[in-house]
Amino acid sequence: MVTEEEIEKVAKLMKIEVEDHKEYVDKVHAMIDYFDILDSAGVDDEEISMPEIPITALREDKHIPFDEKLIEKLNHYKGTYVRAPKMS
Amino acid sequence: MNLKISALDYVQEVQNGNISAEDFTAATLERIHSVDEKLHAFLSVNDDAINQAREIDKKIKSGDKVGACFGMPISIKDNMCIKNSKTTCASKMLENFVAPYDATVISKLKEQDAIFIGKANMDEFAMGLTTEFSAYGPSKNPWNVDCTPGGSSGGSAVSVSAFECVASLGSDTGGSVRNPASFCSAVGYKPTYGLISRYGLISYANSIEQIGPVTRTVKDTAFLLNMITGLDPNDNTTVDNKNEDYLSGIDSGVEGKKIGIIKEMMAEGTDPAVISATKDAVSKLEGLGAICEEVSLDMVKYSVAAYYTITATEAGSNLARYDNLRYGYDFSLEGYEFNSYIQKARKNFGPEVTRRMIIGGFVPSAGHAGKYFLKALKVKNKLTKEINEAFKKYDLLIAPTVPILPFKLGEKIDDPVALFLVDINTVTANLTGKPAISVPFAVSNGLPIGIQLLADSMNDKMLLQAAHALEQTVKLPEVPI
Amino acid sequence: MTKIGLEIHCQLTNLESKLFCSCKANYRQFEINENICPVCMGLPGSLPRLNQDAVKKATMIAMALNCSTPDKIAFFRKNYFYPDLPKNFQITQLNIYGDTSVGGPGSIMVGDKEIRITRIQLEEDPGRLIYEGSSSKNQITLVDYNRAGTPLVEIVTEPDFENPKQVREFLNILSDLLENLGVSDPSLEGAMRADANVSIEGGKKVEIKNIGSFHDLEKAVHFEITRQESLHSREIEIAQETRHWDDKRKITISSRSKEEALDYRYFLEGDIPWVTIDPAIQEKLKSEMPESISSKKERYVSKYSIPNQVADVLSSDKFYSDLFEDSHTESNAKEIANIITTDLMGLVDTREKREASKITAIHLRDLADAIQTGKISRNSAKNALHEIVKTGKDLSQVMSDLDLGNVSDESELLTVIKDVISEEPQAVEQAKSNPQTINYLVGKVMQKTKGKADPKLTLDLLKKQIE
Repeated sequence: MVTEEEIEKVAKLMKIEVEDHKEYVDKVHAMIDYFDILDSAGVDDEEISMPEIPITALREDKHIPFDEKLIEKLNHYKGTYVRAPKMS
Repeated sequence: MNLKISALDYVQEVQNGNISAEDFTAATLERIHSVDEKLHAFLSVNDDAINQAREIDKKIKSGDKVGACFGMPISIKDNMCIKNSKTTCASKMLENFVAPYDATVISKLKEQDAIFIGKANMDEFAMGLTTEFSAYGPSKNPWNVDCTPGGSSGGSAVSVSAFECVASLGSDTGGSVRNPASFCSAVGYKPTYGLISRYGLISYANSIEQIGPVTRTVKDTAFLLNMITGLDPNDNTTVDNKNEDYLSGIDSGVEGKKIGIIKEMMAEGTDPAVISATKDAVSKLEGLGAICEEVSLDMVKYSVAAYYTITATEAGSNLARYDNLRYGYDFSLEGYEFNSYIQKARKNFGPEVTRRMIIGGFVPSAGHAGKYFLKALKVKNKLTKEINEAFKKYDLLIAPTVPILPFKLGEKIDDPVALFLVDINTVTANLTGKPAISVPFAVSNGLPIGIQLLADSMNDKMLLQAAHALEQTVKLPEVPI
Repeated sequence: MTKIGLEIHCQLTNLESKLFCSCKANYRQFEINENICPVCMGLPGSLPRLNQDAVKKATMIAMALNCSTPDKIAFFRKNYFYPDLPKNFQITQLNIYGDTSVGGPGSIMVGDKEIRITRIQLEEDPGRLIYEGSSSKNQITLVDYNRAGTPLVEIVTEPDFENPKQVREFLNILSDLLENLGVSDPSLEGAMRADANVSIEGGKKVEIKNIGSFHDLEKAVHFEITRQESLHSREIEIAQETRHWDDKRKITISSRSKEEALDYRYFLEGDIPWVTIDPAIQEKLKSEMPESISSKKERYVSKYSIPNQVADVLSSDKFYSDLFEDSHTESNAKEIANIITTDLMGLVDTREKREASKITAIHLRDLADAIQTGKISRNSAKNALHEIVKTGKDLSQVMSDLDLGNVSDESELLTVIKDVISEEPQAVEQAKSNPQTINYLVGKVMQKTKGKADPKLTLDLLKKQIE
């Protein structure tokens, strides 16, 4: 069973502010509880697999600049720097 | 102007000089203006469409080389980037995001002189299957406006079935193309993983999702695939399909094909009308010479839990970039420090996205990955092995696309687990990377039912041939709008 | 016993493009935020496109450090929020599903000490943060993303170092090795950075982050050991903590920020399939690798009888060893090694001087030949070298411009020799009884000819005159 504290901790980690508390906690609980079904799948011995690509198919090392001044299309910049809030 | 024609018929008509791209586009825009207030398939409409159509007509008249689309109006789910256009993912978070580049599918369709008539509505960041989680309000099912059109590519399916465009591109992470196609009586396609470049598709769960067409006919899907598939240097996960022509031989039929009927996808809780439509489809295919028998995929029972665990994990990471610093919506930095700013800024995510992010932080976290995330990956692996075994015996697999009929808007929105189970038949294709298609097959009490066919990886062409054969066995009523 | 472990971050500055996009790998020449694109800015919909050469070069580094190199490598996401990280996750490598980073366990000898390498991983560098504002109240953070996505190789060692001297020796070997492989220019600002962990006998492990150069790394380690020993001697417990290197004050400072244990939620990066590097390709990479420094040194010593120390210096510096390789023949090798290590090194001892230098292998070969055939004295050769480095002119041109050719005309030399004999009667007598002291007279001749007398001829003539 997932605790309320755990959900709050995770919300903080994900930079999510949870306001309507009960609503979130209940629904998130219900969703995570449903995942308990995975325990009975009997897959402990399974491996984890991924598609593969041969190194020769990877991009060649060439410098090709982006064709536009990307920075001018972005937000919050000061001079040519991107601005961020102060760090705590 | 007949807006109900298929994509291939449109091309034929323009080539024959019976219609012009400009007239067709103008009529399409008029159609959108008259019905979309009710249906809400679009989040934005291309103001420049008429001019673009006029340019294409000029090219046609002057005998210049014209792309295969001949100015065909296509809608694009609003999670694909079109350069210098707003791409919102139906989220307040990206309210003001203007893409500075074209998705690969967009570049390819531009080359073929397609016209992007508008950006289609969807569940926010593609998380949902009803479009009710769109930050800009749900789309309505043209068959019954009180019902959901399905999702997350609901806007795509609605726009095609309500004749607001000729075809559409959606994206399918766990059924997001096939589900609304089934609910709206359109053809919906989820290709083999890697067949279509995802470059420019805003990621939700990148390891399993694909862009897929929504069309009126199976042939139209094949026609679109011919233009948008293939290796893309911008996407390391694309596969080489050797310029396959999906249209040629589409009439090959299913004679002698072995088809497995997936037992777990007709389980308890499946609507009787859906069961009977599926049985009907099976006997129609048998009538065409296919050999059908039941097959069991044991892992399907766990597929939805595995699917939501994996997608939440990937979404939690994919959506981390939305901190509103480099792009996003207007919200001043003044008076905030880094953490508090981001937390405040990210309040613009809707409730479902927020919930899934919390889950996405939880299931792969250090203390819980073993119980949730790793198990989900292992279920994915075992399910893939099971389906690969099945494809040693069968050419194709069949199941209903969705176990239930389109339901009322608002009916399930508050019950996340009930919504989970609507995905039970579609997530397998995503978790295993296999191609799958939903073919409109029946209408029950005025609500559409789609039948799903699956094939082995890279057997997309055979899948389309079977789907085309199945499509030809029925004549469905016209959408009542 | 003191235990020191290192995590070294080395940018692959010699690549053309970044790790996942085609922006420039060496971002230093650009204006702020001019070396960016949708991919390295993590814009919605963008996907990483892995750089083939980055994988190859990182694999070469692993091979050079005697690490195992798997035939399949995987990339992972390390998830955390920071303004220098456009996607708010970093694509890196990890070994949670077997050894899937570019380099597995290995080791390298540092003097007599074996230093074990834990792993080598390939990852993307974040952007650069600049803090503006005088007080914490009005402080703002500015970000330059030019660096974001630069290919970075992280070398993680076991805590096998026992003192700062071993650390320094290791860093010297490592930077020479990286330069020799042609993957990186360690002298570029920010190209080499490091974290260290330090513990003394009976104390807890302390991490030091944010060390911006190899130079400071040694200092930081030294400082930290002294700090811990001082605490220990006063019987104050050494806390397990993370400290930051303050490069202005040259001390480590406790990171007091209540850093909660971060949970990075590592998982496989689905946008990059597992990259297969089959044995044939690995063999090919190995064969394409430049000769290692140690094997070069061995060759110099055994083949050309170059003294150990000279060979050491020559082989470990790519600039000099390249010059040597391109200029030497069997017969002039020793002479060229000599010119490089005794004369040239003094002339081009900084990066700027090296870059401005006009010397080529041809110059060196000509110079050695001229010395060996007596056309120029060693002394004049030094002057010629100076001019060549400056102007890049041919040796013959330089010799005639500066009048550096040897006086090898017998009658001309004889006149000088006779002068010396009459001026130095005492030395002449001495040379008669003790022939070794004749060198003094040779020196006098040299003085009079401003070093241009052919030394061999001078000696012969002198001997004859004295007898």
